[in-house]
Order: sequence, then C-alpha cells, then structure tokens
Amino acid sequence: MKERTITLVLACCLAVASVLSLFVGVIDLDLPALLGGDLHQLEIFLISRLPRLLAILCTGVGMSVAGLIMQQLCQNKFVSPTTGATISSAQLGILIALLFLPASTLWSRAVFAFVFAILGTWVFVWFIQRIQFKDAVMVPLVGIMFGNVIGGITSYLSYQFEMTQALSSWLVGHFSLVLKGRYEIVWLVVPLVILAFVFANHFNIVGMGKDFSRNLGVPYNVILFLGLSIAAMITASIVVVVGSISYVGLIVPNVVTMFKGDKLRGTLTDTALFGALFVLICDMIGRVVIFPYELPIELIVGILGSLIFVGLLFYRLRGKKPVRLAAQKGGCCS
Amino acid sequence: MNGIAVRSNHRKLIVMAVLTVLCAVGYLVVEVNFSNPNLVRYAMKLRAPKLLAMLITAFAIGGASLVFQSIINNTIVTPCLLGMNSLYTLIHTAVVFFIGSGSALAVNANLAFAVDVVLMGIVATLLYSYLFRKTNHNVLYVLLVGTVLTSFFGSIQTTLTRVMDPNEYDTLLTSLVAGFNNINNEIIVFSVILLGAIVFFLRKELALLDVLTLGKAQAINLGVDYDRCIRRLLLGVTLAIAVATALVGPISFLGLIIANLSRQLLRTYRHSQLVLGSVLFGTIVLLGGQLIVEHLYTYTVPVSVFITVGGGLYFLYLLLSRKKV
Amino acid sequence: MLQIKNLSKQYDGKTVVHDVSFHIPKGKVISMIGPNGAGKSTVMGILSRLIARDSGLVEFAGKDISHWKSKELSKRLAILTQSNNIQMKLTVRELVTFGRFPYSGGRTTPEDQEIIDRAIAYMELEDFQDRFIDELSGGQRQRAMIAMVIAQDTEYVLLDEPTNNLDIYHATNMMKIVRRLCDELGKTVILVLHEINYAAFYSDYICAFKDGRIAKFGTVEEVMTKETLSEIYNVDFEIMTIQNRPLSIYY
Repeated sequence: MKERTITLVLACCLAVASVLSLFVGVIDLDLPALLGGDLHQLEIFLISRLPRLLAILCTGVGMSVAGLIMQQLCQNKFVSPTTGATISSAQLGILIALLFLPASTLWSRAVFAFVFAILGTWVFVWFIQRIQFKDAVMVPLVGIMFGNVIGGITSYLSYQFEMTQALSSWLVGHFSLVLKGRYEIVWLVVPLVILAFVFANHFNIVGMGKDFSRNLGVPYNVILFLGLSIAAMITASIVVVVGSISYVGLIVPNVVTMFKGDKLRGTLTDTALFGALFVLICDMIGRVVIFPYELPIELIVGILGSLIFVGLLFYRLRGKKPVRLAAQKGGCCS
Repeated sequence: MNGIAVRSNHRKLIVMAVLTVLCAVGYLVVEVNFSNPNLVRYAMKLRAPKLLAMLITAFAIGGASLVFQSIINNTIVTPCLLGMNSLYTLIHTAVVFFIGSGSALAVNANLAFAVDVVLMGIVATLLYSYLFRKTNHNVLYVLLVGTVLTSFFGSIQTTLTRVMDPNEYDTLLTSLVAGFNNINNEIIVFSVILLGAIVFFLRKELALLDVLTLGKAQAINLGVDYDRCIRRLLLGVTLAIAVATALVGPISFLGLIIANLSRQLLRTYRHSQLVLGSVLFGTIVLLGGQLIVEHLYTYTVPVSVFITVGGGLYFLYLLLSRKKV
Repeated sequence: MLQIKNLSKQYDGKTVVHDVSFHIPKGKVISMIGPNGAGKSTVMGILSRLIARDSGLVEFAGKDISHWKSKELSKRLAILTQSNNIQMKLTVRELVTFGRFPYSGGRTTPEDQEIIDRAIAYMELEDFQDRFIDELSGGQRQRAMIAMVIAQDTEYVLLDEPTNNLDIYHATNMMKIVRRLCDELGKTVILVLHEINYAAFYSDYICAFKDGRIAKFGTVEEVMTKETLSEIYNVDFEIMTIQNRPLSIYY
C-alpha cells in the first residue's frame, strides 16, 4: 500500500508542476483568456508552451528510463547514457549527418543518431563484458574515457570541416528551441518506454547474468541487445531534439532504487515519474533565475545533478564496510 | 640481481634517448633555410622554447600519470579524469566572459599562466584533500567525484560560451585548444621551478612508489604510512597536471599513451626507469604530433586532437588486450 | 608481547567484533577459526592495521600499534593477506628483495642480499628466482610471498587464510611451512583458517570465534572437543585421535 502512495504522490506533484510550468514564460498567459478563446494566447500555448512541456516530460521520462535499463542490464549503478558512451556516439552520428548530408532534415539526422548511439552502446557493453573489473567504479571510468575517445573523433572531424560552432548546439541540452513542428521526434520516447515496460522482467533476469537467464529460458544476448538498443534509441531521440542532458539517467534511477529496491517492474513507473519531475523542476528554475532570459537546462541539471550525485556517493560510503561495497556492486554483466 | 633485465632496459632507454634527440634535431631543422643565418636564428628562437615546453609537458604528464596509475594500482586510468582540463577551460572562458578578451588577463600570457596555476592549485588542494578524507582514503571514489566535477565545470563553461559574443568566442577558442604557440621563456622557467618544487616536497613519497605497486596491504606490511603517502602523492599529481595544463592547455590521453608505452617497453616496476621512459616517449609523441600539425595540416587541427584520437585508439587496444582492469 | 584488549568494531551499526581480548603466546602457532562472519578476519585486519577499530587496544611490546612508527613495526610484525594481485612485472627475487625495504629502503646492502639468498633457498625457489610472479602457479606464488616475509625477518607473522584457493597438496605444504616458520625460525605465527583440521594438526593454540566474541581460546586439545566445536559451528562433531592429535569429523 505504501508503495502505491509514493507513486501517487509523485504523479500528483508532476501534474501540478506541469500546469505551473505552462504558465511560466516571457509572455504572461492567463487561464480565463485562454479559455475565453484569445487567439494570440492560444497560439503561444500550442506552438511553444505545450510542446515545451511535452518535450520536457519525454526527456525526463526517457533519460531516466534509459539509465535504469542500462544499470539493470549491466548490474552496475554507475552506468548511464552519459557514462556509457551513448550520448557521445549520438553526437558523432549527428555530426556525420551534418557533414555528409548537408541538406539533411531533422529526421535523417535522427536516423544517424540512432544508428551511432546503438552501435556505440553495443560496443561499449561488449568491451565491459570482456573485462573483469576489480571495482565497480572502474566501469563508469572506462565508460567516460570511452566517451572521450568518441568525442575526440567528433572534435577531429569538426575541426577538419570547421563545424565546431554548428555542433555546439547539440552539446548543451536546452529547451528554448522546442517549438511545434521541430520536436516531434522526441515522442518516440513514448512507444520505447512502453516497450521497456513490457520487457521489464526480462531485463531483470538478464541483469542476473548469462547462466541465470539461460536457466530460466531467456535468450540472453537477444534481450541484452534489445534492452541496450531501446536505451540507446531513447537517448538518441532526445539528443537530436534537446541536446545532451547528463546525470538524469544516472541520478534518478539511483535515488528511486534507494527507496524502492531493484525490482525493475516496481521501480519503472516511479523512475519515469521522478525523472520527469526532476527535469521539469530544473527547467522551471532555469527559466525563473534570470527572468526574462533563461539558462539552458544542462546547466541546472549539471549543477543540481553533480551535487546530488556526490551526496549519494558519500551516503553510500558512510559507515559501509569497504570490502562489501566493492563486492556488492562488483562485476558487470559477467 | 636480475642483471640481464636491468642491462637490457638501460640499452632500450639509450636507444630511446637517441631517437628522441634525433626527432628533436629533426624538428629544429626541418624546412629551415640554412643559407640565411638570420632565418636560422629566427626559426631557432621560435622552435627552441616549444621543444623545451614539450620536454616539460612530457615530464609533468608522463610522471604524473605513472604515479597516478601506481597509486590506483591500475594502468588503464589517466589523471585527465581529475578534472583539471575542464577547470582550465572554465577559467579561460570565465576570464573572457567577465573581463573581456582584450583584458590583460587574457592577452598577457604570463599573467594568464599565473592565474591558471594559482586557481587550479587552490581548487586542487582544497578539493582533493577534502575529498580524500571524506571518502575514507578511497582513491577510486575521489576519481569518480573528479569526473563529476569535470562535467560540473563543463556545464558552466558551455553555458557561458552560449551567451557569449561570437567574436569573443572565436578568440577564446584559440586559447582553449592545447598548443605550443603561446609559450615564452618566463613561463618555461616558472613551470620548471614549480615542478622542481613538487618533486622536492614529495621526494620521500616518490622513493616509496616501487613499494606502493605491491598494493595497500603489502605497502603497510613493509612500513609505509599508506594514507598519508597516497594523499600527498595524489596532490602532487594534480598539481603537476595543473602546471602542464596551464603551460600547453588541455591534453587528454597523453599520459595514458606514454605511461603505458613506457611500461610495455621496459616491463619493470622501477619508477625511475619508467618515468624516464615516459618522458622520452612523451617528447617523441609531442614532436611527432607537432610536426604533423605544422607541416601536414598547417595548423588547422590542433595537436591535442591528434593525441586524443591516437591515444583513444591505443586505450581501446589496451582494454582489449587485458582481461582484468 | 602481543596483546589484544577489549577490541570492538561495528559496520553499519552491526557489531562484528565485540569486546575481544586475548594474549598471544610467543613462539607458537595460533590459529583463529570460526564460522563465516564470526569476526576472525576483522580481528586479523585490525591486527594488520588494514581495518580501523572502534575501540580497544592492540598492544605490541607494551605500546599500542597505532603509536608505533610504521617502519619500526614492519621490522617486527609481518602481514600476508590474500589480496595480493600484483600488477607489475616483478620477478620472484625482486619481490623477496622488497622484504628488506623496512631496513634499507630501496638500496640493498650485501648483507641484505645474503638474507634474501637464504630466504629464497629456504623456500626452495632458487630455480624460479628470475621468473615473473604472474607466470608462477598459485602454490609457487604463495611460497614467494612467504620468502618475502622471511626476508623481512620479523618476530611475528600474520597470515590471513593462507590455504585459500590452494589444492590439498599445496595447502598441506603451506601448513608445513607455517610449522617450520615457528619451529625452525622461532617466529610467532598467527593465522586465520577455515579448515579446522589444519588448525588442529599444525597449531599450538586455537582461538575460536563465534558472533564477534571469543568462544574458546586454548591449546588444541582444549578447544578440539565435541561440545565446544558443536556449539561454535552448530553442526554435530566427532573427535578422533590420529598421530596423537585430535582431528574432527563433522556431519
């Protein structure tokens, strides 16, 4: 019963915050005028405010679910789209699309981002599966260095073809350019998250290891790659529209599992709700702090996120038996 | 004791040194017009400081990486994870953003170097000694926090660049990529003094490095005051990286490449040999990169990008070639 | 000379070592046994300075070990743990040479070399001395580590589960070495063991742990009784006497 309450409270908070967020902006909207059929206000509402809210919700839900899936599949609390080379691969894909298909539409860029993100994530997971890690912390470190390698190739190409500036808008996540007609790709998150929900139990089993899943008759490799592809595609569709958003995929699942445990089905809804709420609040802070200008979401998420992350880390370390800490999270997809 | 290995390592190091000298001479004389002594003098005046700077960089980064790897007992990590690169980028962006690209802090190379070293030094000292205590001397967790800081500094920096005047952004961009073009004699002297001081203050701990590679339990067994030793060495590593970054700008993966090449070539635990090897490798790598950048790409692609890509591929090779990390 | 007084340690609010006191007799082999989680390895970790204690004293020669200079202590007390994953390219001889580190730092004297030679010979490692550690078998690596401890020339040796991951042949050899360290070299050896019969056959005293406390400390004969062992392990025991030594059978 108590677990239901948490979910309900989260959903209520999210609903309230969403409505609030619709009425924060440079141009004041007010409810009576909107309902009274003020065309100008309705236009702003439909072209800018509503798409922005939907994009935020999709981003929050998508990034945190993607992070949760990756953490489950790899059995490592520190893996996420940022620390698992997914975001940097997606960025490389976008750059390649910009370079070789100069007339590319948003959709063709998205396709490139998808392909690269999936490939990058697969390769990363393949790497970390081959290696036995002495400490769970090594996995994200290797992932970050892996991401640096891909980022290095991206910056080589962008220097070579003088694309540094064009690329920078995909390096910082922001919602200010989300308008009707140019953000719909992010809706792909919805079917992908539903798919993730359907396969949640499978992901849980695969997370327990190859032998464990073979024993239960779950095709290990198929489910592993399916899960990673879903996570990568969610991430890529967000990177194409919004840009890179770090930390959400790392922190949100960690905070939620701290309260609710590791059963994927049970935590998926809460993770999605909490992720959406987190991004929404960050966005509102970004819009209010230097009103009427706005700060990019990446800055707010970056600052809040790193503080929370360091807090989590110290919380985990406090009074813990060091040996047990390493053993408990040790091994990755082994 | 084990004389054959020691002697063959000496031979390898001598060969390396000769190669390095050859590369250095090659770098100094390539495409110089020797018929005109004025041109020769001009070329030397331009290139000699760069050569010195490469040597210093190779020493600071190579030495720091080796020490860092031995502290963590893992040869796959590099101290570029400590966040000094992104702090450097943030400092420079903030200077241009708040004071302007025409200000003395941005234009005067010596002043910029001093600001970098002081700020990075203070942040590194406060942050890492605090973190080290807070994490119960767990270096891996310190490192993880370091990567968090990297993206923390990064998100502030990218935000600043987005609101920045595009012209200012262009001037900023040139100072953010690593290179050996803004180096003068005073900066070189200053870096040598700083690095010398670091080595001097850590001379006792540096002598313990060979024992530290045996792991924590063995080091304690052999009478090493482990936590204090690690804390001081980690601080030294961060400061050395800060000096090198202030000198040439952010270079990731250089340390990883040269420390591991040195380990692969010499196959020893002796840090004196390993550091020497990595300095030689570092100089060769930097010289090679600089030659390619200057003569093949005519400065369109900065040297750090080559090192990141090359180092990245080497990193993947290292990952694939071992089973345990 | 080595005395443990009122030692306690908690993890996450759970007490794993509870007010443990005992005196370690000199020149003997003392085995610590007990079920998993009984606290024996934690006590060993505290003795080895690898784990911080919450309260209590570990007195060595009248002075608490935390007041000793690390270097001085390492000339009198050697520690060998299981976490020996040496990454470096290190030959057996180089490893044994590290045993002289507390005395001469990085530079060895001819006298040190002599001690190293003797340690290698004692462990019959002459043929392997120029081989790299990571090329050796588990048993040989263990012997190389012991040779280092011998070169360290301490009065006390602490071994944390020395028979772990070794087959019967190598484990038995290991225990014989432990006995020789005591009988021939006069060292006091304190070790954590899982295998009760090794403890019974090769040690002088047994310290049995249960639930973070000492359940029984005494000579082998005193501890190796049906009642004591049954109570500690919650399994039925029978004691037999073979070669004048009590050995246990459990079912």
